[in-house]
Amino acid sequence: MGPDGTGQEEILRGRAAVVDGENPCLCYQCAKCSTGCPLSSEMDLLPHQIIHLLSLDMEERALKSKTIWLCASCYTCAVRCPNDIDITSVMDELRGKALSQGVPCPFPEILTFHKNFMRDLMRRGRVHELRMMGEYNLRTGHPFHDALLGLRMFLKGRLRPLPPRAAKGFKRWARRLWKS
Amino acid sequence: MEVLSERRVALFPGCSLEGTSSEFLASLLEVFRVLDIQCPALDNWSCCGATSAHALDHEMHLALNARNLAAAEEQGYSELLVPCAACYHRLASAAFELRDKPARLAEVNAKTGLDYRGGVAVRNVLDFLANDTGTEMIAARVKTPLAHLNAACYYGCLNTRIPRMPAFDDVDYPMSMDLVVQALGAKTLDWSYKTECCGASLFITKEETSARLVAQVLQDALARGADCIVVSCPMCHNNLDTKQAAIREAFGIAKPVPILFVTQLIGLAFGLDAGRLGLAKHFVPVALSATGKAC
Repeated sequence: MGPDGTGQEEILRGRAAVVDGENPCLCYQCAKCSTGCPLSSEMDLLPHQIIHLLSLDMEERALKSKTIWLCASCYTCAVRCPNDIDITSVMDELRGKALSQGVPCPFPEILTFHKNFMRDLMRRGRVHELRMMGEYNLRTGHPFHDALLGLRMFLKGRLRPLPPRAAKGFKRWARRLWKS
Repeated sequence: MEVLSERRVALFPGCSLEGTSSEFLASLLEVFRVLDIQCPALDNWSCCGATSAHALDHEMHLALNARNLAAAEEQGYSELLVPCAACYHRLASAAFELRDKPARLAEVNAKTGLDYRGGVAVRNVLDFLANDTGTEMIAARVKTPLAHLNAACYYGCLNTRIPRMPAFDDVDYPMSMDLVVQALGAKTLDWSYKTECCGASLFITKEETSARLVAQVLQDALARGADCIVVSCPMCHNNLDTKQAAIREAFGIAKPVPILFVTQLIGLAFGLDAGRLGLAKHFVPVALSATGKAC
């Protein structure tokens, strides 16, 4: 660091885990994110503690937390942060990193839901809700979960039995991109 | 009436509006018919990724939404009107990121083989109704003023909270839906849970957590004297409506709260048939007396 403080940010950035375009070192721990978070009462680490860990280059602990999976992506923290850190997107990034590094998800249903949703999306570019929910039930080992609700929704015309029309060319486009 | 075709606005329906929340699309089209708004659906649209794509893979979120933006541009549209709050959030945030960061746009185009140039504005249906159509135009078509209705307008998370993007309404205390509902003759309530979260897909994966959040919304609305909650998000609607009876029982909430899409309420005030507005598809029954009193 120069005598006038130049380079300070670079030094801090170098230590902090780099999260796509977001700098956790800008955080001064006001905890506004945690006070506004609707899920904070169930989290093992509060959002401002996650950011603190990142600024201390202790990403590993953040990746193992329940917090990143409990986040419902309501964006309350992101729009309230006085230092303009998009905390919600940081949570997205951490979830992705946890997945790619094979860190087990503490809530298997949540991960199963997302993966199952994406699998259904990739079939035709549009989601067939009935099949998506049925497969989610099978994959989580509760085939009759909400079956009565599902039946009532079906009878009310809320669940279409046949899949939606596919988006033209979607499957090939997506396959080339993600090899799924 | 302004001819929208000159502005080239396309409607983005999305998966929910063609499935679980088809009444949102049906009532929107009914209301647009009365207001003489012509807005063709985007051809060959694909899913926005909803709560899942962005949650696991930001690149995938950008690519999925770039595909729709590029399709709109290619089909000659300058604006994409999005009724579903989740689709709106994904499309608008991706469009903002791609416009804000030209390098990212080039990167996404190169990777996906698309040729999006950043020329599509993503518009929220509440913004469109309150500011483009205008409350005067809406008020002029009202046949049954909802004079005795106390409505709690629930915006949820995704209508206004897009980080860094200038929102069409106040982030924490929006009023666009309130103004539209007031134009129908109804009273809208000041309440604390206007933009609180209903739990989104946790409603499926972590039911108790989401039920707690839903109960808070219902309780506050009732405490302020709400006859109904008005929404513009299929996910909010599903979470507030489908299991409401069980949630009310678990949290000791006595009174049922009908949940309506804003376009259904407009349709009722326009004197449109309740069947065509899809009111029978809801789990909490909606009935409107001659005085406009709901429930």
